[in-house]
Amino acid sequence: MKKKKMFLRMITASLLRRRSRMLVALLAIAVGATILSGLVTIYDDVPRQMGEQFRSYGANMIFMPSNGGELSGDSLQQAKNRIAEKQLVGYAPYRYENITVNERPMMAAATDFDGAAKTSPYWRVDGAWPSGVGEALVGKETAQTLALNVGDEVTLTYDLDKTPATADEAANTERNQNSAAFHVAGILDTGGNEEKYFFISIEDMEALTGKADCFDMAELSVTASQNELKTYADDISQHTDGVSARLVKRVTQSENTVLSKLQALVLLVTVIVLLLTMICVATTMMAVVTERRKEVGLRKALGASNKSIIVEFMGEGLLLGGIGGLLGSVFGFIFAQAVSMNVFNSSIQFRWLLIPVTVVVSVLVTGLSCLLPVRSATDVDPALVLKGE
Amino acid sequence: MSLLELKNVSKIYGPLKALDNVSLTVENGEWLAIMGPSGSGKSTMMNIIGCMDKPSLGEVILDGVDISKESSKKLTEIRRDKIGLIFQQFHLVNYLTAVENVMVSQYYHSMPDEKEALEALERVGLKDRAKHLPSQLSGGEQQRVCIARALINHPEIVLADEPTGNLDEANENIVIDLFRQLHREGTTLIVVTHDPEVAEVAQRTVVLEHGRPVKEIINESFEE
Amino acid sequence: MFFRMIKGALFRQKSKMIMIAVTIALGSSLATAMLNIMLDVGDKVNQELKAYGANITVVPKENSVLDSLYDLDDGGESVAHLKEEDLGKIKTIFWGFNILDFTPFVNTVVTLGDGSTAKLTGTWFNHHLALNTGEELDAGIHSLRSWWEIKNGQWLDEQKESIPANGALIGSALAARLGVETGDTLEVNTAKGSQALQIAGVYDAGGDEDEQLFTLLPVAQMLADCQGLIDSIEVSALTTPDNELARKAATKGPGALSPADYETWYCTAYVSSICYQIQEAIPDSVASAVRQVAESEGTILDKTRLLMILITILSLFGSALGISNLVTASVMERSNEIGLLKAIGARDSRISGIVLTEIMLTAIVGGVAGYFMGYGFAQIIGHTVFASAIEMKPMVIPLVAVLIIIVTLAGSIPAIRMLLRLRPAEVLHGR
Repeated sequence: MKKKKMFLRMITASLLRRRSRMLVALLAIAVGATILSGLVTIYDDVPRQMGEQFRSYGANMIFMPSNGGELSGDSLQQAKNRIAEKQLVGYAPYRYENITVNERPMMAAATDFDGAAKTSPYWRVDGAWPSGVGEALVGKETAQTLALNVGDEVTLTYDLDKTPATADEAANTERNQNSAAFHVAGILDTGGNEEKYFFISIEDMEALTGKADCFDMAELSVTASQNELKTYADDISQHTDGVSARLVKRVTQSENTVLSKLQALVLLVTVIVLLLTMICVATTMMAVVTERRKEVGLRKALGASNKSIIVEFMGEGLLLGGIGGLLGSVFGFIFAQAVSMNVFNSSIQFRWLLIPVTVVVSVLVTGLSCLLPVRSATDVDPALVLKGE
Repeated sequence: MSLLELKNVSKIYGPLKALDNVSLTVENGEWLAIMGPSGSGKSTMMNIIGCMDKPSLGEVILDGVDISKESSKKLTEIRRDKIGLIFQQFHLVNYLTAVENVMVSQYYHSMPDEKEALEALERVGLKDRAKHLPSQLSGGEQQRVCIARALINHPEIVLADEPTGNLDEANENIVIDLFRQLHREGTTLIVVTHDPEVAEVAQRTVVLEHGRPVKEIINESFEE
Repeated sequence: MFFRMIKGALFRQKSKMIMIAVTIALGSSLATAMLNIMLDVGDKVNQELKAYGANITVVPKENSVLDSLYDLDDGGESVAHLKEEDLGKIKTIFWGFNILDFTPFVNTVVTLGDGSTAKLTGTWFNHHLALNTGEELDAGIHSLRSWWEIKNGQWLDEQKESIPANGALIGSALAARLGVETGDTLEVNTAKGSQALQIAGVYDAGGDEDEQLFTLLPVAQMLADCQGLIDSIEVSALTTPDNELARKAATKGPGALSPADYETWYCTAYVSSICYQIQEAIPDSVASAVRQVAESEGTILDKTRLLMILITILSLFGSALGISNLVTASVMERSNEIGLLKAIGARDSRISGIVLTEIMLTAIVGGVAGYFMGYGFAQIIGHTVFASAIEMKPMVIPLVAVLIIIVTLAGSIPAIRMLLRLRPAEVLHGR
């Protein structure tokens, strides 16, 4: 018992009274541990955080009617509920109808604008997103064709029976039409097919067509890996009547390719940085311990066995490694948090498991790097060590 | 039986013979000085007696055991149990206080005991400096801590290597007085020195030159 | 004498100096590798992002209007055309080097044997092109549809002898509907003629294209009766993420920019400036950015760069501390020597000079070795992750050199000053 007390007394004295050198060593270990815990946290977090960024490519899953018919709001809701809410970034149902504007055939799409803004974050709207009933978003191409500008009025006409196939037919037959005037809230620029459409709210479309609760498809943006998405799609197709979920391969496949490269990049960088940092820590520890060769010689001359000297130095290393590791865990988290806030604008979870891992690695690296110089000092005759220098 | 006996001991470093066929006997309780100029082999002899080095040839019998053939692990044990060392450069652990430095010796020997360590310091007149670090002590005080450390485990032999080499006159006298006291208590003392004044106070002086004992002086006027 | 002392220190304290050199080498290799990767990661990830396909589409000027007027969405048969002979000009624009791939399209609707219709697209697959400038290149749809999975059979390739002149790829959905497999022959008809297509493979595109047929450009041109003409072009270009200037140019048109801004905009690889240059090169064309790809690319690139910059800062910080720490430790270790030099009357400046010169010499050796090690690490990462070499930017060399010098000085000067302040006796007596 008494012996243990003296052991602790010697170690703490060494740590406290040799302040400047111990600070040097502690700093080295803490920096190493910070890099360890910081980089591992980032590496661990990159797929999630980057995955969210990749959602800017838009929908990666679509719901289609499985029987060639139409989708009901209920079945869509049911299908949507099978996806974990946390992973669902955006959801937008779509309904397409043929309409005419001044007898010119056009395509109108009804959607939930909040959802569409999330599933298609790359849409650029000149003007504003429609905010309510009676407002429309007009595709750039259509707007050019019809010479529409933001703030203009446009009347959409829907043939309740059947859109006439030819101009003759349109002129000659009795037509049962429904019209509504819309205020052009914004012009949509996407560089894709959407530029040809009118976008109106679902309520407006239901009023215009007199037909409610039917959709052609729904777009979903889900933060998940390709495999996870596949599982979701299979699950939904199997368990939801009338809904067939499909992956947008262009998005999922490419995301898989790019994301796996990015992760590999961060992994390799982490490994190399860690390796080099650990060697740096080791050399610093070795320098700090080598300085104490004389002390090792003295302890040997006083009759200490090699084992007890190694145990004492290891004790110090353990303590230093432990403190450095703890400090590093905290600083590493702060760093990772700063990176996350700066790069991804979102915070990260503290990973408790990383504390023991960081501490253990720090202790191991410190211990091993102490062992080498202590070993070499204990192997030499104390007389030579004491004489030296 | 003699406490220490060197029989035809040689230590050879390449072409150099640091010790050349030395034989020497030290009796229990004796105060011996080993004198000689630098390079005469004093330190080598001290290292061999102190179990910190092994002879190339010959036997060294300490308390009935031939230490020239022992493993270095065994030598460490013998050193710990039987020998107290005093160095010219003091060699105190610079981050431990005076009393802790004494306790280190106890720690490796048996059990650290702060009370006993303080008593040892009191004996060398440093009770009030016990909590000071070596850097806060004068050279003489440091050497006295070193002596206290050497005595704490009641060794058979106290080996002192130039104990006064780094000390001024006044401190030298304090150290010599301490040696006298030790001698009166029956401790075997071997003092390696090149200082005739330090050698003079010993019972017997062996003079080394080129690794060989060339002269032996018995101090006639030695007072018990 | 000065040099003799330094030589002595360098060679006699070999193991210590080697340790310092090794640590400095590690630090400098880390800095070299990370800086190079950081500077190159944008380009590398940009290349990877090409997996998403084309980011620019080029159509004839009148097309967009006409298309809507006649509601040709069902057929996709355009009235206005671009000229096939103009295709090569895409590579001759200012940012021609950034054009990674492009392919023309000719769309037509064909009637199949069972009376149903399908969209047939003629395109290049791996077309060899010799430009007027003497440059030669291969272009085609393959890299623009990286997500296509050829289920059986193989990609078409104009340069392969084994591919028949009437070869075609069929979408998985259409193939399933028609019961067609690789190796079969499929008869297609248009008003302009009929052609037997030999199915070279079935692809799964996971989208609308699964209902289509893709064939070689001349076949489709014959069927659509538009020899030498094309409907649209898809272009994949390496671009710089948009900033304020690019957004201004895109919304208000390049005309709205001041001459200086225009110059900057034109000479930066923004997607809008590349589009503008393509329009200049190809007569009567409208080039527009595919926002889904162009916009997202910018986001991902910016984030990746920032991420790498921060990781680089951390590792630079780490290696800087590592080096200065070790240097501090090793200077402190020499308290005896410094005390001795002081005791024999050396001036402080002299002592600092000796110690600093030694450490600096060691640092130079370590730094140079580290640069080459870092080169190795960067290439390992480049080849493992991106399967291509990381470009070593010359600007990294002075950066690393300055970093090492500052860090070494920062590590040694405080320690030297601390030791110089001590009285020699204290130092020599082991304090």
